[in-house]
Amino acid sequence: MNDIVRDKVAIVGIGRSDFGRFLPESQLKLGSIALKAALADSGLERSDIDGLSIHMGWPLGLDYDQVAEGYGLDVRYVNQMWTHGRFIAYTLQHAALAVISGMADVVACVTAISFTRERNILGGPGDMEGMREGGGTHGESPPYGLTAPAAGAALAYQRYMALYGATTEQLAAVPIAFRKHARLNPQAYTYGLSELTVDDHQSQRMIVDPLRLFDCSLISDGAVVVLVTSAERARDLKQKPVYIAGMQGLRSGREEFIFSPRGMGLNQQSGTRASADERDLAVYAMAGIERKDIDGLYTYDAFSPLPLFVLERFGFSPEGEAARWVQGGRIELGGELPMNTSGGLLCEAHIGGWNSIYELTSQLRGVCGERQIDGAKHLQWATCWGDSLVFRN
Amino acid sequence: MDASQKPLPRITPDTEPFWEGCRRHELLLAECNACKKVHLPPSPVCPFCFSDDLGWRQASGRGTVSAWTVVHREWFEAFRDDLPYNAAQIELEEGPRLTANVVNIENGEIKVGMAVEVVFDDVTDEVTLPRFRAAK
Repeated sequence: MNDIVRDKVAIVGIGRSDFGRFLPESQLKLGSIALKAALADSGLERSDIDGLSIHMGWPLGLDYDQVAEGYGLDVRYVNQMWTHGRFIAYTLQHAALAVISGMADVVACVTAISFTRERNILGGPGDMEGMREGGGTHGESPPYGLTAPAAGAALAYQRYMALYGATTEQLAAVPIAFRKHARLNPQAYTYGLSELTVDDHQSQRMIVDPLRLFDCSLISDGAVVVLVTSAERARDLKQKPVYIAGMQGLRSGREEFIFSPRGMGLNQQSGTRASADERDLAVYAMAGIERKDIDGLYTYDAFSPLPLFVLERFGFSPEGEAARWVQGGRIELGGELPMNTSGGLLCEAHIGGWNSIYELTSQLRGVCGERQIDGAKHLQWATCWGDSLVFRN
Repeated sequence: MDASQKPLPRITPDTEPFWEGCRRHELLLAECNACKKVHLPPSPVCPFCFSDDLGWRQASGRGTVSAWTVVHREWFEAFRDDLPYNAAQIELEEGPRLTANVVNIENGEIKVGMAVEVVFDDVTDEVTLPRFRAAK
């Protein structure tokens, strides 16, 4: 048993700004709204914050020093990721590790995004990712017209369909589920819209074949702040603590391509898939639970194939079967494994994935009303590139 | 970046011989002189045995489409007139994959597993891009 991490750290405060498109506020303003809300939620004071872990920074936003300066913080620990889905877990994990190691007592995880103002960075002429030494990491290849990350998910799902006979009609189950969830979430961009059907999905314009409009995430503005501290301190604060029970890092190497299952044959992957081993499933062992104990799964759904691939990586679904596995409401509220119950990036907002961290914390506090997962005890954050945290109440 | 111009490859010390090969209309693979395995993208060390003793081998230029997509949305002005255009990952018969376009084909005819062969497109006086067409 790993008792270094298990239940030693808790999320004790969450706050957010409004989510939307073309919001007039600066990133720094959106973040301040979320920070004030998180402090009020937790009962902590601004002066209690002595660590900062941010999921923003160049090129999309402010660096840590501008955040600390703007909010009048005086911290002794900083971790800066950049706004990529692969660094959500790390932003939170490093905050937890800072608390466990004594480098900080209270860490504020801050994400403030104004994607609509920066949209030419998202695959447009301002996007330098593909032009770095080594190029982009989502399959970007600008000389051939692949300038945006969406192409990587499209390439992966085309190959997946060819290998396993999956279809785009099956893929529709993902946005259909998340739209249902968003319809129960007044904060969601698609709240108030009608339920999606497979026909609705199929009639949308193609963006990057086989991904249609509803397979691609929203482009949003907004901020989320999550406050993390020790379990001891958490017990004296306002909210029921949400403990980090276990965590694991992402997998990387020649067998990995960020938007594909391990080994499926994208980039330099061998083309031979391997089933999940103990390295892929370490998060459950650390948390002292089994996969079947997970009451809900939260993932980075920038593109609708990604929730399918995470189901296969963690063994919820057998290899090559996730597109069939998700049919019939299985990932919807009331189903076997509800996923992204606030609507996720596809249907709530793209706040770099932090809207889902906000949601799973709320779920474990039991305050989600109509979309509450009954008896939620263990919720998991996991991505198709392998990182994960298990949370419990 | 100037969005009115299609981006050219970022040429690094490790990839320069590959692009020089393309200028000569030769498709080169990085080859390890120690373990004899080939790899792409060109690395300064062998990713398999970690040897520094690397050379280059000419590829046959034949391969198959291992993944493909068609871009319908304009992200980048210079590609506007090409919409909708394809891009694919090509698995060379020696094993490594590279990304390129498939030319002289209707997008609807591209399939995973189809046999292709390299063609060279001199896009500037200095730069030649490998692309692929259906194998004869």
